[in-house]
Amino acid sequence: VSRYAYILAGGVGSRLCLLSERRAKPAVPFGGKYRIIDFTLSNCVNSGIYDVGVLTQYRPTSLNQHVGTGRPWDLDRTHGGVQLLPPSLGHLDSDWYQGTADAIYRNLIHLRRRRTEHVLILSGDHVYTMDYNVLYAFHAANKAAMTVAVTTVPDEAINQFGILETDSEGRVTAFLEKPRQARSRMASMGVYLFDRDSLIRWLLEDAAMPDSSHDFGKDILPRLVARGEAVYAYPFKSYWQDVGTLDSFYQTNLEFLSDEPPIDLADPDWVIHTQSADRPAVRFDPGSRVETSLVANGCRIAGRVVRSVLFPGVVVEAGAEVRDSVVMHDTFVGRGAVVDRAIVDKGVHVAPGVVLGAGGATAPNRACPEHLSSGLVVVGKSARLPEGVTIGRNARVGAYATEADFTGDVPSGGVVDGPESMH
Amino acid sequence: MAMVLSGGGGEALSVLTAERAVSAVPFGGKYRIIDFVLSNLCHSGVTQVGMLTQHVPTSLHDHIGAGRAWDLDRRGGGVLILQPYLTRSQAGWYRGTADAIAQNVDILENARPEMVLVLSGDHVYRMDYRTLVETHEDRRAAVTMAVTKVRPDESHRFGMVTTDEEGRVQSLLEKPERAETPWASMGVYLFETAVLLDRLRSRPTNLVLDVLRPMIDSGDRVVSHEFDGYWEDVGTIGSFYRANLELLAPEPRLELHDPRWPILTRDEERPPVRVREGARIEQSLVANGCTVSGTVRRSILFPGVTVGAGAEIVDSIVMADVTLERGARVDRAIVDKYTRVGERAVVGHGDGPADPKLAWLGGLALVGKDALIPAEARVGRGAVIGVGARPSDFAEAALPAGAAIPSRAWYEGGA
Repeated sequence: VSRYAYILAGGVGSRLCLLSERRAKPAVPFGGKYRIIDFTLSNCVNSGIYDVGVLTQYRPTSLNQHVGTGRPWDLDRTHGGVQLLPPSLGHLDSDWYQGTADAIYRNLIHLRRRRTEHVLILSGDHVYTMDYNVLYAFHAANKAAMTVAVTTVPDEAINQFGILETDSEGRVTAFLEKPRQARSRMASMGVYLFDRDSLIRWLLEDAAMPDSSHDFGKDILPRLVARGEAVYAYPFKSYWQDVGTLDSFYQTNLEFLSDEPPIDLADPDWVIHTQSADRPAVRFDPGSRVETSLVANGCRIAGRVVRSVLFPGVVVEAGAEVRDSVVMHDTFVGRGAVVDRAIVDKGVHVAPGVVLGAGGATAPNRACPEHLSSGLVVVGKSARLPEGVTIGRNARVGAYATEADFTGDVPSGGVVDGPESMH
Repeated sequence: MAMVLSGGGGEALSVLTAERAVSAVPFGGKYRIIDFVLSNLCHSGVTQVGMLTQHVPTSLHDHIGAGRAWDLDRRGGGVLILQPYLTRSQAGWYRGTADAIAQNVDILENARPEMVLVLSGDHVYRMDYRTLVETHEDRRAAVTMAVTKVRPDESHRFGMVTTDEEGRVQSLLEKPERAETPWASMGVYLFETAVLLDRLRSRPTNLVLDVLRPMIDSGDRVVSHEFDGYWEDVGTIGSFYRANLELLAPEPRLELHDPRWPILTRDEERPPVRVREGARIEQSLVANGCTVSGTVRRSILFPGVTVGAGAEIVDSIVMADVTLERGARVDRAIVDKYTRVGERAVVGHGDGPADPKLAWLGGLALVGKDALIPAEARVGRGAVIGVGARPSDFAEAALPAGAAIPSRAWYEGGA
């Protein structure tokens, strides 16, 4: 049976702060060598879905480069394969994508050409492994018009999710967007399976509603539930994580260092495919001390690395120490520098003697207090930190900041901005 | 166009080539030997490549696939595997290097390139073949052969070349005890296609003895091209081990990290190296997919090696998906893929052998792929464990130097 999936990958991801400032959230590096979207793309091909459309809008360059022709996922195919679907001109009502449903609606021409019985709609923002075949079987067994995959979240987290209430058969009876109270803890995973013809009908209907925000979660799903359509909730039992905030991004990365990581990245039956650069094996120099860490090919370690995730090409010089941190591709940590509880983006130059993450978290970040207050330090892409500088907790150094942008040490909650215009 | 000679069985590599060609032997933590030549070709802009294979070629064919890793999966040209084949009139095993090319002469006749690069697939080096073409054209050569300096005590392993002042080759001696010059042939030859086709008409067997040497003797323009970069023939256990461990030097002679000349290989998509609590890794290359709970020193670990708690790897080369169970030890050894070393077993036990007949092992223990080494076993330095050895093959727990367990064929069962 031919199957078709859309991946929504255009979100702004503002809670990820610097990490998604210059790239779409699905393109944010994760887990030592992957991008967040790799999990969803790999789920598709591992489930036998080889016809995938990726809807992009916000800062798509990094994502476009990563997905490319789809080669790592075997999505470079004669028929089907991966297709990027950016907003386009030339229709009567051309516009940017207003919401998730609108993004699909504006690709109706594309959807109509796919003569599949069902359409799978996925978010590119989540970390999980799922065999979508099980979802299709559940959908068919319930004769559903729409099936929503749900995961159980803790009581205190229900106000961050769309919560579904069901009857004993799994049919959805109520949908509550970020409620303070609910009778259920089943949260929507942003994984929707639709009957294609119903979907097209509902999209046309929604597009005609002037007060709709054209979003699957906010508009379409509640409307269908209220109307009594055959919407079912598929309870997904395995690991699923929304890495939408700096804290959840950080914690989820570090969860992969535990004795029982949430996902077995080495499972030969469910490989997470990604665009891998050709890098040599990790080089551990004499005197290196590495424990409880993930270290990717192309890294060179002479110093100390503890409880950290290092992406390809990171260099840790002798006498330097990286602790409890996530350090992305090709970042350089010079002699005697300390990186502690930090998220460091790609290509950052941490000069000798720098202390990144010093002292206590006395103040939240000045620029984004709501997202950066737990003591993490965040450094944007390609920033250059001057020799010997000390940077306090909850501080933020912008992408492409240079030595000249620093006036001295950076206190807790401090902000060093990089140039505005660089991409 | 290039013809790559990659059919050699490499007896000197013992169990490492029991089930693969020399070119397919793993090298440098994630590569195969052939990757160096294929990367050279890719970076030098050579896009038509014939691979001549014969000795247990499955592993090599698997690795090369359609040539994707080297951008050799092309509509025109690309990589072509040239295996021995039958015709109505003859059985077609390749009798030698020149014969292998002669049997595929139609490929050259159809493509009609101006020049043909004939390469050995068994060497580790980084070379821009365009420099060879320059020398060839400048000198209006019939053949240009790349030469590199080797140590006098190594001349017995190589084809040694003497030249006149202008670099014209005057003699080519195969593996002489003593050589007049330090220049060894690298197994890299650039032929005028017409010259090669002409020479192949007499159905020569060996490229050096039956093609090059007669050309030199008859005064054809055979020119040498001096190459001063890294080049290694890793066709013996000693040289293979040394070349691998040299990569651990502070400034290794062979640069694997050069973004302008990446060594391309078939990627296996493994997760990053997982270093666990209590692990200790120093002066080593460890590839993606490894999980280390124990200690690793001065060693090379290929993808997917698992080092259990309290286990230790020292001065060794351990290939893909080998598992060391708790407390196992591998010390001065080469352990091939998928082998399992049981709890507290030791591979590379005791002193190196004194027996000169075992000198080829360089004091190492050698374990073929798919071997199951039982818990507590002692495999001495100088012992050789064949492919697919089973615990029942270890009649005695300790195998001294000189002991050997023969390889099992794939169809042999075993407990």
